[in-house]
Amino acid sequence: MVDVAFLLLTFFMLTTQFKPPAEVDVVLPDSNSVIKLPESDVITLTISKIGEVYMGVDSQYLRAVLFGEENKLRTAVQVDMPTLTIKLIEARQRNAKLRTVLKCDKDSEYGVVMDVMDILLKTNISRFNLVTNLETS
Amino acid sequence: MAGGGDFAPTGGRAKKGKKRKASKRLGIRMDMTPMVDIAFLLLTFFMLTTVFRAPQTMELNMPPSDVKIEIAESNLMTLRIMNDGTIFWNIGVETPQKVGMNDLRKLLLEQNKQNSKLVTLVKVDRKGKYYLMVDILDELQLANVDRFSLAPLTDADKKEVAKAI
Repeated sequence: MVDVAFLLLTFFMLTTQFKPPAEVDVVLPDSNSVIKLPESDVITLTISKIGEVYMGVDSQYLRAVLFGEENKLRTAVQVDMPTLTIKLIEARQRNAKLRTVLKCDKDSEYGVVMDVMDILLKTNISRFNLVTNLETS
Repeated sequence: MAGGGDFAPTGGRAKKGKKRKASKRLGIRMDMTPMVDIAFLLLTFFMLTTVFRAPQTMELNMPPSDVKIEIAESNLMTLRIMNDGTIFWNIGVETPQKVGMNDLRKLLLEQNKQNSKLVTLVKVDRKGKYYLMVDILDELQLANVDRFSLAPLTDADKKEVAKAI
């Protein structure tokens, strides 16, 4: 029994990926889409329930460049629309492989989401992903 | 519980050095309870914190905003989603009709079978909730409709819908 316990322990220790502490809590909408989220090289745009927009990139170095040394350890930084445009362009200049991911609360107002999508289009990001949970029905 | 290991010599330790070899380490018994306790504690911790399912995504391909595509009016299906979640659909310049979320997939499948060149335009009210849009996109995807685009819902659209009610 102890052997099995240790086996399981090692298994869980090796497979655990700690979720990075999120700046904002969002409740994701459900969908039947099965495309996986890319793991690296992503710009995450989070829109909270009340319509605040947060921008985050996964590499710590790029975070320091974009948002300053003091924000290096934060996963996302709140931005307003004009800043978002500038930062998006800057981020993509530094790393052209970056993919954009939109993480919006299911109860956030569509208008804000639409504004953000407009900005994405204006900065020539015509392909992006919407994060959803797999629908369980 | 006794801390550390219980050292219980059973061999002939008391005898002279010549016999020492025979005793080996047979008699050593370790108390493993604390270690097992810790192991189980860690096991439960990792089991509870592990997140198995990675979030899913929907991919959206939008045409660049400066490209204009002309579509014949009869090939254009408009879905208008009002802020309370009601859906109105029409083709071309017909009067919009109300459709429920559950019947939407059937409708999409039917219309696309009738006209293979159909392009769907999704207009969501600014005051609507984000999940409404995700639901609609999901239905489109389930109905294998990959030619759709998103557009803002204008006042003119609201007037169109008002005609239907």
